[in-house]
Amino acid sequence: MSRLKFKGLFCAILVTLVLVPFSGRCASSPSNKFIQKSAFKGKNDIVITFAAPVEEAWAKDISNYRVYEEPDPDIRLEISNITLSQDRKTVILHFDEELNQNQPHVVTIRDIKSQGKNLGTAIVKVKKLYLGFLFSIFIGAMLIHNFVFTKYLGLCVFFGTSQKKSTAVGMGITFTIVMVASAMMSWFLYQFVLKPYHLDYLQIIVFIGLVSLSVQAVDTILRKVNPVLFKAFGVYLVLVIANCIILAVPLILADNEYNAAESFMLALGAGLGFLVALFLMSSVRERLELANVPPTYRGLPIAFVVAGLFALAFLGFSGMSIF
Amino acid sequence: MDPTLIKMAIGGLALLGCIGLFFGIGLALAAHKFAVEVNPKVEEVKEVLAGAQ
Repeated sequence: MSRLKFKGLFCAILVTLVLVPFSGRCASSPSNKFIQKSAFKGKNDIVITFAAPVEEAWAKDISNYRVYEEPDPDIRLEISNITLSQDRKTVILHFDEELNQNQPHVVTIRDIKSQGKNLGTAIVKVKKLYLGFLFSIFIGAMLIHNFVFTKYLGLCVFFGTSQKKSTAVGMGITFTIVMVASAMMSWFLYQFVLKPYHLDYLQIIVFIGLVSLSVQAVDTILRKVNPVLFKAFGVYLVLVIANCIILAVPLILADNEYNAAESFMLALGAGLGFLVALFLMSSVRERLELANVPPTYRGLPIAFVVAGLFALAFLGFSGMSIF
Repeated sequence: MDPTLIKMAIGGLALLGCIGLFFGIGLALAAHKFAVEVNPKVEEVKEVLAGAQ
């Protein structure tokens, strides 16, 4: 009964953590109500949809539009030409140069003229799909910038627990849970306590404390809830405290000023990336037991060689970008 | 010393102390709730053994 209650509570916390930031995001709308939609199209175009037909002479005048990337308002982007759709509701702005779609673009549309009326100036922010951005953080943390194979973090736990598949998977799952819990707590403390009180120079101390807190909490709870798994982890659960990944993620969050949803995705990606790394490594090491390895290389040395080969393979992901 | 610096330092100490206290109490409550009964004989046997290693 108490176990069920605990599970329910945990799910509720997770769901609120995921949903709260979205509710705020969805409400954002263009400053002028006459503009229905704005989006990137292809590599060189921005599409703007109006609520009603606009006047052709006004729409085709390049001087009515000003476009710049959000961080550099001084640098105006040159529009090469403009096309208006048949129903005169959709305007496509063509640019000669490729747009850097990782940056939000600000489009200022002057004195919109529709059916003989002046509807005022609109300022629109054109952004990539936010869910796509979240997904790219997730995939990035999991595969492209895999913490073990591309950043060489958390190696002690990685080599310690990758001898058997079952331990590796268990360790990976516990690690993911601890990772997400501690990253969300450190995000909250950093944004709402450390930053407002100008104490961000204490971030490392606070994050270390939070990590050991969540490890201790998982240790206490797991001992009661699942003693078998607890025995299987043995000393490695405590080793999570000494894992560099779990400290690296909160520091990355603090550096990049991520919001709650982005932090959640990064932490989840880092945790699952570690799980993937552990699983891959343990499947190879289980086979290595049967292989004829020269005596000098048996054990850890061959494991390091294998890890190096994995790192080379993961190098294939580098430079990839999704969405 | 600049009084604003002292104020900041004391504020930081107080804040971190509060955080520590809060989480400490939380952990203590969790430990109480998820307590596992340990056989007292395990400790006793360990005490009697030589324990060099």
